[in-house]
Amino acid sequence: MDPIRRSLLGQLAKLTAGAALVPLSSVASAGINDQPPRRGGDPEKRYGMLIDLRRCIGCQACTVSCHIENAAPLGNFRTVVSQFEVEHEETGELATFMLPRLCNHCENPPCVPVCPVQATFQRQDGIVVVDSDRCVGCAYCVNACPYDARFINPRTQTADKCTFCAHRLEANLLPACVESCVGGARIIGDMRDPQSEISQLIEQHRGELMVLKPEKNTLPQVFYLGMDERFTTRPDGIKPAIWDVANQNGKEIGYEFDGH
Amino acid sequence: MNSMAIEMLVPRYGIAWYPWAVQYFFLIALSYATLWLAVPGLIFGKKAWMPTARIAMLACVSTTLVGPVALLADLHQPLRFWHFYGYPAPWSWMSLGSFILPLYLGAVVVLAWMSWRPALKARSQHDDGWFSKVAGWLSWGHWEVPRPLMVLVGLGALALSLGIMVYTGAEVAIVRARPLWHTYWLPFAFVATGFIGACGLVMLLNRISQVRNAITNRQMFSVMIGACIAMGFIALTWFLDGVNAVDGSVAMALDSIKDSEQWRNTALWGGIAGIALFVIAIILRLRERLWGWGWLVGLLALHVAWMFRWVVLMDVQTVARNSAGYHNYDMAFGSYGLMGILGTFGLWIAAILLIDLFVPWRGNEARAITDKSSSSSDISTGAPSHG
Ligand code: SF4
Ligand code: SF4
Ligand code: SF4
Repeated sequence: MDPIRRSLLGQLAKLTAGAALVPLSSVASAGINDQPPRRGGDPEKRYGMLIDLRRCIGCQACTVSCHIENAAPLGNFRTVVSQFEVEHEETGELATFMLPRLCNHCENPPCVPVCPVQATFQRQDGIVVVDSDRCVGCAYCVNACPYDARFINPRTQTADKCTFCAHRLEANLLPACVESCVGGARIIGDMRDPQSEISQLIEQHRGELMVLKPEKNTLPQVFYLGMDERFTTRPDGIKPAIWDVANQNGKEIGYEFDGH
Repeated sequence: MNSMAIEMLVPRYGIAWYPWAVQYFFLIALSYATLWLAVPGLIFGKKAWMPTARIAMLACVSTTLVGPVALLADLHQPLRFWHFYGYPAPWSWMSLGSFILPLYLGAVVVLAWMSWRPALKARSQHDDGWFSKVAGWLSWGHWEVPRPLMVLVGLGALALSLGIMVYTGAEVAIVRARPLWHTYWLPFAFVATGFIGACGLVMLLNRISQVRNAITNRQMFSVMIGACIAMGFIALTWFLDGVNAVDGSVAMALDSIKDSEQWRNTALWGGIAGIALFVIAIILRLRERLWGWGWLVGLLALHVAWMFRWVVLMDVQTVARNSAGYHNYDMAFGSYGLMGILGTFGLWIAAILLIDLFVPWRGNEARAITDKSSSSSDISTGAPSHG
């Protein structure tokens, strides 16, 4: 990516993180593909997450604990930590970069208005959820999320995604990923409460926070601290390094890394 | 970037819409386009377009009936389809579509029934055993359908078909998360390629059904040339919008072509097939003795219309969103893959055969002529059988 475009995107990332922090007044429904009214949840709260990348060690404890807590089927993840190996082109120096991904519980979630049966909706506390009894499994929301945060659960045949562990929050517990985070990188909390840890961290680092893919205008509510702006969008130079390994019958038996 | 990065760990993201979706978009586009091809003859009473209208109506009814089946099959919870009506979401294009579609289907079926009724009544008076009986039931009484009523239903179906065009296009084009879809030009491209395919289908049915009307082929060549020009214009405008940075889907498309041999081949193939179709259609249109080859052009046209939807709906879903590159989609041989595609086509052919068996859709006048032409040996040039 050329430097001008990169720094522009970086600026955009920062600006949008700032704009996203100004709580939008609940958008009343009007035209097609506008956000429908929010329902359920505590209107006094707005949950958000801050991920301090400087503290993430890439241990995937969050991935595993989420997988167990939410009984996701094998191969599907509500949260995952992308690991990049970054090589400096001139010096050949190597570094790793960790990027935990999960649903951003966007302030302007494109996955919600597309749902034809109101099965996916945003609660008043900002959490985006799926009513799996109502979902018809059309997968429209899976395509509409720019972050690949959703999948069709092969067991329930309905849309599945991170809920910020809403069931745990209601019981005054932390989400599984936060609870298990070894580095203390994940901080969740009510952003409407100025005394909460997340509010104070946001206040403290306002200028440095970034969100993923700001250009999609989704206003993500998962904020990254210590982010390299090149990773906020679909990075041009990055290639996934995994190949499927299949047995003689073409059945997949594992992964192999490309030249590493 | 002065550094290279490799993503070491990526979960595999499958595709969310299966080939069923391609089948639906293909069939429903053929449906609305063939309806429009039937209009000059059926609604505006243009005699020269009547044979075309009859074939187009057969194509329209069969695709309209089978399309929604494919759509239903693309749901992971097909039995919950009633949720569309129990929990409407007027802000969702898909929800709007779920209301337009049954109305459209109803209008098309009623229109076809009205247009087939005179021939059904005539057949019920012949002594054809079961076929006469069925024809008698289907024609449902001896009263006449007033022409204005038929025109009204026809216009209603047309209006609803506009709704189908808009909703199927918008449903995909609003998805910002897939830059290749997110362009104003996509709905127009769906319609243009839909007409290309519909002309092809009419020519193919013209041949298979032994109607072999040369005028129909001439008309279809003309419409197809028009649709090709429209498609070329759409593609060009989309591209120009892209170079002027109005439209991100072009940059994305160029990136894809740059990075992937498979995409390069697909783009090349699409371009060649489209241009070849255009040139062949013009050549054949100008040479009357070649009109009989319309069915072959028809096959190519159907291929172009189907491929376009396959690339747009399936291939685009394999473009990775969080990194460069692609997620492989190897078509499964189950009901989600190949069997789904074949099953839909099988159902479609069955629908056509059933209609052909029980409905004298060629019309009363055509009866004598088709009897004659099917016994004639030199038919590949296709003698005009109507005005
Ligand atoms: S990250 Fe995706 S699934 Fe989550 S709210 Fe945003 S658009 Fe919806
Ligand atoms: S998959 Fe379910 S939640 Fe997603 S858009 Fe379709 S019905 Fe709504
Ligand atoms: S558990 Fe915490 S430190 Fe470990 S990968 Fe997840 S976010 Fe990073």
